[in-house]
Amino acid sequence: MLRLLLTVALVVAFVRSASAAEDTYVVGMTAGLTGPTASTFAPVAEAMRIYFDRVNAAGGINGKPVKSIILDDQAEPQKAAANVKQLLTWNNAILLIDSSLSSTFAPVIGEARRADVPLLFIGSVCPKEVYPPADRGQYCTTAFASNFDSRATLTFIKGTSQDPAQIGFAGATIPVSRAEIDFAEKLATDMGMTAVDKELVPPTTADFTPFATKLVAAKPTWVYAWAAWVIQVQLFQAMRRLGWDGNFIGWAHQEAEDELKRLKDPHLYVIGANALFQEHLPIQKQIEDAAAEASSRYPADQMSEGWIGSMMIEAALQQAGWPANAAKVEESLQNLKVDMKGMRAAPMEWTRANHFRVHQSYRVYNWDAAKGEIVTAKEGLDYEIK
Amino acid sequence: MQLIVNMLVLSSIYALISCGYVLIYRVSRVMNLAQGELMMLGAYLLLTTASLFHGNPEMAIIAAVVLSTTCGVLVYVLLMRKMTGESVLAAVLATIALGILLRGLMVLIWSAQQQYPGQPLGLNSTAIALPGGARISTFAAALVIVNALTYAALFGFLRFGRWGLRMRAAGQNPLLAAQRGINLHAIYALTWALSTMTGAMAGMLIALDSGLTSNLAVLGLKAFPAALVGGLDSLLGTLIGSLIVAAAEILSIQYVDPLLSDVMPFLVLLAMLIVRPWGLFGTREELDRV
Repeated sequence: MLRLLLTVALVVAFVRSASAAEDTYVVGMTAGLTGPTASTFAPVAEAMRIYFDRVNAAGGINGKPVKSIILDDQAEPQKAAANVKQLLTWNNAILLIDSSLSSTFAPVIGEARRADVPLLFIGSVCPKEVYPPADRGQYCTTAFASNFDSRATLTFIKGTSQDPAQIGFAGATIPVSRAEIDFAEKLATDMGMTAVDKELVPPTTADFTPFATKLVAAKPTWVYAWAAWVIQVQLFQAMRRLGWDGNFIGWAHQEAEDELKRLKDPHLYVIGANALFQEHLPIQKQIEDAAAEASSRYPADQMSEGWIGSMMIEAALQQAGWPANAAKVEESLQNLKVDMKGMRAAPMEWTRANHFRVHQSYRVYNWDAAKGEIVTAKEGLDYEIK
Repeated sequence: MQLIVNMLVLSSIYALISCGYVLIYRVSRVMNLAQGELMMLGAYLLLTTASLFHGNPEMAIIAAVVLSTTCGVLVYVLLMRKMTGESVLAAVLATIALGILLRGLMVLIWSAQQQYPGQPLGLNSTAIALPGGARISTFAAALVIVNALTYAALFGFLRFGRWGLRMRAAGQNPLLAAQRGINLHAIYALTWALSTMTGAMAGMLIALDSGLTSNLAVLGLKAFPAALVGGLDSLLGTLIGSLIVAAAEILSIQYVDPLLSDVMPFLVLLAMLIVRPWGLFGTREELDRV
């Protein structure tokens, strides 16, 4: 009798969960929530969670709730692969998201391809497959763009320097950072500037002073760093402690805004595609309110990447309609244009050939000592992604 | 001159961290592979005490040191004491599991965000000018001084202190030490406390100097070669091993290729293991296979 009751209970639970799953949009994310890159990816996941909680509270998309399942892969490929298998087979996700290190990409892309489910990268490096001509099935909302970042940065440096710039370059000993810095070094020379030194810093460095020592010895007037924020800021601080008083420009990671306020150095610049919260946009106020309401452990100003990615997901699901499946979502993603409400200067637009974005626009910020706040040093560094 | 300063600072970081490895191995023949995580825990505890004792750095640091030391005792009482009588491998695996657990807990409690414990305390890492045009940050200088004082205190304690002598006795022959009335559990608890305290001090000073990330524990692994090069049961060896490893790393950055800096400690270690597996000042003994 007990066995019969247990069997009935299990069947009922299975049927209920299956039918409940059919009545929702299921979006699955594998993210580096813990592990060495947690500070980068955990806020992205948090932003997505908060975003879709609000969407569901407002009635969902096309009247249906969104179930966002977020799994931790600790930035490890095996765990990411296991997560994606679970999201596809157990949870029937119709859209996958990878917010983790690039080492997780290969297994995740493989699984997504086999299941023919579209894969979106939020906050992580955009793989080359999303650039035109884009591979089917992969999309990316992350702000930074290989080569374009360096073009914009060097254009800014050249336009700002009164004398020919002597540039030191700094990156991390990971392929994507090395490639970008190597490209920037060559481009600087082509643009008539002098590359005086290049340092590649391992992420596990105990003390950044030895690398800073070499950079300072080369007497650069500018240093351009394209690496994780920790490397950028610690190298900058080490250089300052060695008495170097030149200009430093790095990528505007999500920590950049708080760090500009902390360091208050007018010669520290950050360049990025996302608007900093000092712009006080209405949508940023929305994010702040949502983060406060959700008692988020991460500051609102670190949630831009996750919020932008979530806006694109919402628009894609809205356009896909109901009932939706992976094929419909894919079709929707290939023809999507979303107003970023100021968080990015240009709308995020994907086409069949371009799963990165059609327009990329950069802004440069620094600390204004006289005003006692962050200011825009330059905006309107625009590029067409072809 | 700047190169020498850089070597001193880096060697002090490695020496303070690997001091913990040596203390525990010397007394109990266990390799504590959670030393990096315990070091990071000290830094996070400082973050907490910094917000509690806002603007009072002395109290915050003392409280963090006391808490860290207590954590070391608790690690022994709640975990390592249960491993008494088990194989060395089991004890080492327990420390690995402890490290993984601590890392996860720290992210859950304090989040993965980059933090600056010095901010609520009003402490800034400024530069001190040295002869020869060299410069050192205030907290890097503090690291060097604290390292020197810690090793001096430990040398004195182990050589002349009553409990230090008991620790050495327990390390040389635990059975005989127990038969002579030495409370081995108290000795091991004290060892774990000292080891965690020294690692925590390193973590706090590094966090005050350049910020605290959830990746700080990785330094524990980088400091390990320093202990092995010097000799896993020799404090003097660890000090010299740290200097050798740090010098190799700094010189490879300056004159060879900065890309080698990450692997240089392990290259030095490999060379030492080939030439003298027990380290420069370690005890030549039959090494356990792990």
